[in-house]
Formats: sequence, structure tokens, C-alpha cells
Amino acid sequence: MTAKTEQSGGCQCGAVRYRANGELGYPHVCHCRMCQKAAGNYFLPLAGVMRVDFELTRGEPKWFHSSGLVRRGFCGDCGTPLFYDIPDADSINITLGSLDDPQAVKPVMQSNLDSKMVWFHALDGLPVELEPETTDREDGIAASNHQHPDHDTSQWPSGAHP
Amino acid sequence: MTNTYTGGCQCGAIRFRARGTPPDSSICHCRMCQKAFGAYYAPLVSVRGMEFEWTRGQRKTFRSSNFVNRGFCGDCGTPLTYEAPDGMAVAAGAFDDPSLLPPTIQWGVEGKIAFVDHLHELPAERTEADLAAGSFLHQIVSYQHPDHDTPVWPPEDHA
Repeated sequence: MTAKTEQSGGCQCGAVRYRANGELGYPHVCHCRMCQKAAGNYFLPLAGVMRVDFELTRGEPKWFHSSGLVRRGFCGDCGTPLFYDIPDADSINITLGSLDDPQAVKPVMQSNLDSKMVWFHALDGLPVELEPETTDREDGIAASNHQHPDHDTSQWPSGAHP
Repeated sequence: MTNTYTGGCQCGAIRFRARGTPPDSSICHCRMCQKAFGAYYAPLVSVRGMEFEWTRGQRKTFRSSNFVNRGFCGDCGTPLTYEAPDGMAVAAGAFDDPSLLPPTIQWGVEGKIAFVDHLHELPAERTEADLAAGSFLHQIVSYQHPDHDTPVWPPEDHA
């Protein structure tokens, strides 16, 4: 699949921002136990962009060498998992939920099924909670959201919050 | 018998233990959980009413709104908690055996990614497919903390 050729993204707090100017190749969801634990999740969605087409537009990630060959980049201020990187490779993998428009890049493959959650296929059938548990809280969160918006900003934080 | 669930971050700097029965296990599709986790949703296990203890290290927190703090490991980044005024929930994938805590409900579906219900229908490959391609997996040595508590971490034999 060829995705839109320019994608921006970053962490929740906005301290780290990036841009991918080329195709995001091999978008996939990885079920391996290392991706699960690194992401605190059931799987991690990733796609690669050529290093020459990739730039950090704000800040620097922190890195954890999860093995001798792979390092994982994240925001040191808010923790968002951002990158899966093999420094010798000519591309870098981006976590697809950190894209500003995650809908734009649809995975084409699942990998590393050995540690896939046995009930993964059943998640889409779960009941849905339609009403917020506490409307006041939802409103309060919306009014005081400290998450960086889903687009680049010339200045951040905007000054609207501490 | 009281159930005990352990877990922690990828690097093992932060470890936790929860005893009892989790009141709920859920998936949140809201855009804040998506971006905080770098993923399509946040799977969260509420530990409200459970006996919960941080058994190693101190998490860092980011105040994502005036109501909520999100905890993570400052050394490796693993998202760990969603901490609200009425209780805390722990990132399901950070448990040593997340399969024991399957979610039973979905939240925040207004932010749900359109294709997320179809991910399990995607073609799949096993790790060995990469091995056949002669990739780095032959030589890989994991520095991830094992999926159980350890008396000492990291072991002395890795840098």
C-alpha cells in the first residue's frame, strides 16, 4: 500500500515532532512480546520511512536499546512510543498511532503471531459504552487538554496551559 | 484465593504488583489514548479497589489534562498508567501476562480508527518468515525485562 506521501506526527505532549516526506512502507501490526511490552499494548502498529525522507521537526526522542540491534524511541517528557529503529538500516519505523492522521495509513499485514493475544480476533465484538461515565469529567478534559494538536505548531506549548 | 498480577515496563526499571480482582478491563479509542500510546487504542485494566504496589522504581507522569496523569517509564518509555480522580488503570500490555485480563468493553468509540475492527483479518506471517529472509533476528539478544519479577535487574552480563 502506498500512503499519502507526507505525514506529520509526534508525541502526546508535543515535545517531539517528526515529518515523513516519503511513502510509509509495509504498514503492519506487530504482535511480538517486545512490541507489546514496549507499548503497554496488545500489539504495535509500525511502518517504515526512508531515513532521507524523515526529519525530526521538534525536540529529540529518548532511546532505549531493547536489544543489541534495535533501539526504541519515545518522548522523555510524556512517554509516547514513537520509533522502532535499527540504526544500520536505511529506514526508520514510526508508531502509527503517533501520526497526526492515523487513519491515513492502513496496515497490510500482521507479524509475529506467536505472542498474539488469543482473544485478539474478538475485540471488535466487544460491547461499546456510548455514554461517558461522568460528563463533567469529559467536559473538563476537553477544556484542559494538554495534548499537542494533530498538526504542526509554530510554538508549543501555546501558553494556554502551564 | 487472591489473584496476583505482576508487570512492568520493557526495560524493567519499573515493576508493579496488583492483588485481587480487577473491576474492569477495557479498550479506549479516544484520540488522547491513541496518541499517548502511539497506537490505535489504549488497553487499560482498572486496579481500583485492588491491592496495588510499585515494587521497583518510580514512574514519570505527564499531566495530559487537569483531571488525568499518565504514567510511563522515564528510561524506556513504556506507557504504564492512566490516573484519574476516581482511580488508576494500568496499561494492559505492561502486565507480564496480558492474556489473563481480556477486555470486556470499549470506550471512546467516537475516536475509533475506521479499520481497527479488521486488523485481525489481515494476512499474517510468523517470525520465522523474517528468519528465512536472513535478517538480523539470527543474532538478536533481547534486553527486555522477563515477564516475571527478578531479584536483581539488569543482570550483570549485559551492558
